[in-house]
Amino acid sequence: MSRNKDYSIRELLAAFISREIKDGETVLIGANLPACRAGVLLAHLTHAPNMRWLQFYRANFSDVKQIESFEFVTDYSGFKYCEEVPEYEHLWDTIRRYDVSFFGGLQIDKYGNINLLGIGGQYPKLMFRGPGAIGQSTITTYVGRYYIYSERHHPMIFVDKCEYITAVGWGDGGNSRKKLGLPGGGPKYVLTPLCIMDFEEKTKRMRLKSVHPGVSIEEVKNNTGFQLIIPDDVPETEPPTKEELQVIRTRIDLKGTLREL
Amino acid sequence: MTRKEVIMSVREAASMIKDGMTVGIGGLLTANHPMAIIRQIIKNGVKNLTVVGSPAAGLEIDLMIGAGVAKKVATAYVGGESLAPIGPFFRKAVVDGTIQMWECDEAILCTALRAAAEGLPFLPWLGGVGTCLPDINPDLKYFQDPIKGQTLLAVPALELDVAILHASWSDPYGNIQYVGNTYADILMARASKKCVFQVEKVVSNEDIKRNPHLTKIYGVDAVVPTPYGSHPFSSDGFYDLDREHLKEYVEAAKAYTKGNPEPFNQYLKKYILEPNSHEEYLEVIGMKKLLSLYRW
Repeated sequence: MSRNKDYSIRELLAAFISREIKDGETVLIGANLPACRAGVLLAHLTHAPNMRWLQFYRANFSDVKQIESFEFVTDYSGFKYCEEVPEYEHLWDTIRRYDVSFFGGLQIDKYGNINLLGIGGQYPKLMFRGPGAIGQSTITTYVGRYYIYSERHHPMIFVDKCEYITAVGWGDGGNSRKKLGLPGGGPKYVLTPLCIMDFEEKTKRMRLKSVHPGVSIEEVKNNTGFQLIIPDDVPETEPPTKEELQVIRTRIDLKGTLREL
Repeated sequence: MTRKEVIMSVREAASMIKDGMTVGIGGLLTANHPMAIIRQIIKNGVKNLTVVGSPAAGLEIDLMIGAGVAKKVATAYVGGESLAPIGPFFRKAVVDGTIQMWECDEAILCTALRAAAEGLPFLPWLGGVGTCLPDINPDLKYFQDPIKGQTLLAVPALELDVAILHASWSDPYGNIQYVGNTYADILMARASKKCVFQVEKVVSNEDIKRNPHLTKIYGVDAVVPTPYGSHPFSSDGFYDLDREHLKEYVEAAKAYTKGNPEPFNQYLKKYILEPNSHEEYLEVIGMKKLLSLYRW
């Protein structure tokens, strides 16, 4: 998948995420998004030692030489890193204090709304039933900012309008979030194997921000199911540095999961 | 008069669960599910349960759907992460309409349990406003809050007839302690009329007093000693999940939903219907396998 011998797409996205995280932020990490996890840890091990990492426990890894990756969220061997085991329901009592989170979807529309419920037909008789809302409806309501992450960039995923919405992004555009009374900062960027996208300030419509090295604007357009805003100047996404790759490969991604895509 | 001990057998505890009840199942994703009691409920042929899963539930709910004990399910997720991103029986049963799904996100389910715990008809929640959840779950109703006039969701109480949970240990009086995460167990216990606990071991009251800060729940109706009682799932601080077994389950469930019921019928027979007790189940799994599940 990678078009460059030196790094993979996931490593590129992890480096991008790392540069987004500021020291001292509280980051909520969900299941099964290895590039997001790696990006957050890269920030933590380099410029964000005071990060508050929350999964089902709160941990600080800043002095850990090599961080094991866990296949399952509840893996008890992760407890050796943990400083606090908050009661699960208390995750919701501190919901206003989370700065950053990450979400994927079956469908993502031009306003950054997400559908994780299902596609094709009238509920419940869906052609494809997805996992459901999991934690995303509430976390996206409150979190300071979040990143939408998709490992496929395809017109079936990037659609004009989600059939069902499990996470409100920018709603119907404009000041939709405000009208709904949602206090969180909404989706900031959308990360895919082809590009990074943001949202136009006024309309809140999705806009191309940068294309990954070797990807053309045409390719992004052809794989997006709605009319993406294309600014005059579209730079290339900054590739990971040697130092970033070194930290990822020797301290975070020991199994090489990131190099698979 | 002496203090009451609440130790019970798996059979006695499972007999508290009757057709049509609303039951809560503890743990989260691939950890701490009360499997010994779930297997006994299936053996007992209980029907038409409303099953309130953990806010992010695992394949134990999928098994309950596949075995035909569930009529209605409330949770925000049923799956086994990378082993089965979506439970095979869950997916088919929701789409076919053979179970009714109380759609929610994790926090909405917690809010519903909290309302029950506090004896309220509902509690307000903001997460879910603007999403499809109130459209596909008519129990979630929009209302204007009387203080600020904001549009919120009224999340009705989900009271549990019985909460069935799994913890590390207890004394005979039901002082329940955990070495790991309590997941949503405390909320479920508080939202229940009756509360049944599986534990990895029973300890003395003196042991409990040595670490009273570990006691998370008290006043339960049954403590059921079930070493390896969460198998094939993990039990925090005791054993890891049994990947091989869960794969066997997922394959059997998938085959069933694709028209070949044989592997799942075999699974039910071998692991649930034929073993006469939790101990016999563990014999079927085998000592070698059980002892291999320890990880640190």
